[in-house]
Amino acid sequence: MKVTVNGTVLELDPGTSAIDAVFAAGFDVPYFCSQPYMSPIGACRMCLARIGAPRKERDGSWILDESSGEPKVFYFPAMMATCTTAIMEGMVIDTLSKDVKDAQNAMVEFTLINHPLDCPVCDKGGACELQDRAYEYGTGRSRFVFDKRHQEKHHPLSALITLDRERCIHCKRCVRYFEEVPGDEVLDFIERGGHTYIGTLEDGLPSNFTGNITDICPVGALLDATSRFRGRNWEYDHTFTTSLDDASGSAIVVDARTGRIERIKSGLNPEVNKSWIDDGIRFGHEYADDPERLKRPLLRRGEGFEEVSWEEAAAFVAERLAGFSGKDVGVAIRADATLEEGVAARALAQHVGTGQLDHAPRHGPSLVPLHGATVLDVATADALLVLGDVTEELPALDLRIKDALKGVSPPELFAHGVPIADLRLKERMPRASERLAVVAPYRVDLMKYAGAAVQVPVAGEAAWLQAMAAVAHAQPADEAVLGMPRAEAESLVRAWREAQKPIMIVGGFVLASEAATEAAASLAKAVGFRQVLVPPMANGVGLEITQVLPSHARYDYQGMLGGSAKALVLSNLNPAVDPAVAERLRSCELLVVHDLFLTETARLAHVVLPGTSGYEKDGTMVSLEGRFLPVRAAPVDAGEARDLTGVVKALGEAFGQRLEGRSVRSARRVLRKELGFDPTELHRLGLLRELPRRRAIVSLNVRETVVGDSLRVPSLARPEYLGRNAHLRAALGGPALRLHPEDAAARGLRTGDEVVVPVDGVPRRLEVRVSDAVPRGVSLVPATPEAPAGPAAVALDDLVHERRALEVA
Amino acid sequence: MSSRQPLPTVTPFFADKQERLSEILARYPEYGRRSALMPLLWEVQRAERHVSEARVEEIAEILGLHATEVKGVMSFYGTYHEHPVGRYHLQVCRTLSCSLAGADTLADFLEDELDLVNGETDPEGRFSLQYVECLGSCGTAPVLQVNDTYFERVSRSRCRALLDAMRRDTLPEPTLERGGDNEPNAPDQEGGAA
Repeated sequence: MKVTVNGTVLELDPGTSAIDAVFAAGFDVPYFCSQPYMSPIGACRMCLARIGAPRKERDGSWILDESSGEPKVFYFPAMMATCTTAIMEGMVIDTLSKDVKDAQNAMVEFTLINHPLDCPVCDKGGACELQDRAYEYGTGRSRFVFDKRHQEKHHPLSALITLDRERCIHCKRCVRYFEEVPGDEVLDFIERGGHTYIGTLEDGLPSNFTGNITDICPVGALLDATSRFRGRNWEYDHTFTTSLDDASGSAIVVDARTGRIERIKSGLNPEVNKSWIDDGIRFGHEYADDPERLKRPLLRRGEGFEEVSWEEAAAFVAERLAGFSGKDVGVAIRADATLEEGVAARALAQHVGTGQLDHAPRHGPSLVPLHGATVLDVATADALLVLGDVTEELPALDLRIKDALKGVSPPELFAHGVPIADLRLKERMPRASERLAVVAPYRVDLMKYAGAAVQVPVAGEAAWLQAMAAVAHAQPADEAVLGMPRAEAESLVRAWREAQKPIMIVGGFVLASEAATEAAASLAKAVGFRQVLVPPMANGVGLEITQVLPSHARYDYQGMLGGSAKALVLSNLNPAVDPAVAERLRSCELLVVHDLFLTETARLAHVVLPGTSGYEKDGTMVSLEGRFLPVRAAPVDAGEARDLTGVVKALGEAFGQRLEGRSVRSARRVLRKELGFDPTELHRLGLLRELPRRRAIVSLNVRETVVGDSLRVPSLARPEYLGRNAHLRAALGGPALRLHPEDAAARGLRTGDEVVVPVDGVPRRLEVRVSDAVPRGVSLVPATPEAPAGPAAVALDDLVHERRALEVA
Repeated sequence: MSSRQPLPTVTPFFADKQERLSEILARYPEYGRRSALMPLLWEVQRAERHVSEARVEEIAEILGLHATEVKGVMSFYGTYHEHPVGRYHLQVCRTLSCSLAGADTLADFLEDELDLVNGETDPEGRFSLQYVECLGSCGTAPVLQVNDTYFERVSRSRCRALLDAMRRDTLPEPTLERGGDNEPNAPDQEGGAA
């Protein structure tokens, strides 16, 4: 359609909003209530423009201007909000005339009537949309001589978000966000007119995606409580990087100031997380600044440690390693290490000549599916089968699943980016819940949105998948196993078969079992699903395809800990939480631990090397869809901490060898050869690649003997750091032992009680949470990197009650 | 996320009114279930003279909404009360026509007479005083609405008589004004919840 904006003629697709036409033409128009990826509502009236369009005669011909002979432009009688106006053929938009300027000026003045002038103490100062708009479009002086509205200035909406009700300009972005994006309507306007304020009746915003409202608030009303009063916007160093908290590959911006991470904001990656991140990623950064962080290498001297230089530590390790036969050495890294660190670990293992190399946590089956799907495919799928608790395991995927239910495909990007007003989006859009089926061993959040929800017994996924496959092959299947009448199962299978883009999302509970993973693959084959496999940690896929894997199954991580290795190099792993493993590690002849903190394992080590957090290293990660994404280091003061490439560099120097992977750069030289592209040149939005499937499945003998009636469940807050993330912990509570109300009552347990309970023989301190989402007789405990999601034995009989919750009147 | 501490248990309002509940819900299609919000609020308010937080949560539960949303709707309208109002809820219109016809004097008179200010209820729970916006009876200003009944052209003497009657708990029939809302054929006031 032909549109003229201030004299510039453009050709745009029908359905484009007038505001996007203005931006596409290179002009600016102010707005507050519109927000990319959310419905335009025309609430703030800031984007007013003078709009006209030609009209047609009854016979369909254009009404012509008598003097020029061109179609005559009829202007609308009043200014139009460009965000809610769709373009029309021949539309003329004027944003520069005096009338428009006056209207914008008046709106700025109106918006500022009740807005306090506390910009000098406002965290948003310098990055505030209202401030910018007031400068650009306001008069610069106020005619308002009366008292401004006074409201609460420090209202804690939750432990994570503070609301200043005076600053709110009622754009409704946050209220709409909760309804449209996560689908939890936990925030609303209360009262009316000039008394309106944002409020909630729910205790502490019960949603996993609350932090995003601090990003989209156009003023300083909603602020991230972890960074409030910590710095000015222009003082922050913004590092555009990728989150290593989960395998979604979510884009984040790390804001650091004077060597400290102050806050994390959502980055924009239209094909991955759009502009949303979950609270685990956003608020889970405080551990990086914990005063207990290791800053220098430690060398064991008798019972204690002595701080030494890297050279001394490395010389010690090199000398001791020389005394071992290569195959007795084990090297294991955590599965959120970068590809470069993986190359470094491989180089180290190669140098000492060991096949005992692994990353953990890792599932037995490969993470590269036969027919994979991307995150964007999930967002545009017309049939989804979700196996597991995706909301906690990979929250970014949860939001994209909800996108798929809306059935609005992601918008085409303009030169100015994501459409500011996508007119296809509406408030309270119907969600096609029949597209979604969820199968999990307890009631998961996503079931609320699902047309079909099946609660299977613990470790019952394999049986369910086999039964479904039987239905697909028109064979008999037990209705009790299916959890629904056969007719329903048949209609589900039919819907999956008829769908254009059916996708199966396979979570940790299924991947924990080889039988279930195989059953999932055969059901996928039977009905034509493409699969998305959820890795247990950020770079599981990357470390698998770069072969940070043992040469033999018996040399895997569990094997190393079980005694196949006499010397161990562990990076960010803490197996000694298990007393039995700790006992074995005590007799380990050389234990080198590379970690952020003096963990249980580090305490047993001969050498402790300070490691970097996911915000402090450069590297590359591969997300679950096979997208290579850059990880960039924020300017954070981490003392002498180094990532694994730094460790390998120091060791190599001590060996007198130039090892591959002795720096990010040298590791990338190796990767370039293996991958066929240079990770240094990766774009911020990443590069999607076909991934090679692992040839043989290398089994993990993950405590297969332990099959309990309970479950280790994924959690969006990393349990290993939750204790050091004060704000997140305050909002979510400590690591939880979730119980059915009857089970809790039978043992006299109440929500908030602190208990120590053995989980697979490992005593864990947990906080009781009573929930009817949990089936009877099952306890849910958080999965950790040492013990990823899957069945567990929780010995409630050996539970020790540490502290009872306060009696609440 | 964090779980709410349970409120003290109260018998659900609709526990013994299932028939009325399904009658209200039946007015709306299933996808528009949330439309029943206003009638349900009104149902509670009429019986209890306010809508407590427990009732807000009950209604949210019935309609499958979050309590916040119910609260958002409820607080938008001045007709729903968070705290119980008195047996006689006096609503004085102070919009233009009534103001010109002496609504402010009427309001002052009521404040003095009852020793209440806007938004208050007396300790006995007999009277509540509230200033409201236009009641749509401009032709018979000034208007005082007592509970659901309009009293029109309320002069000082009429007002005093009315208060005396209410103090004896005998609410008089409203006077019939020509063109007023209390005329026999006047549109039904019931509901107010459209």
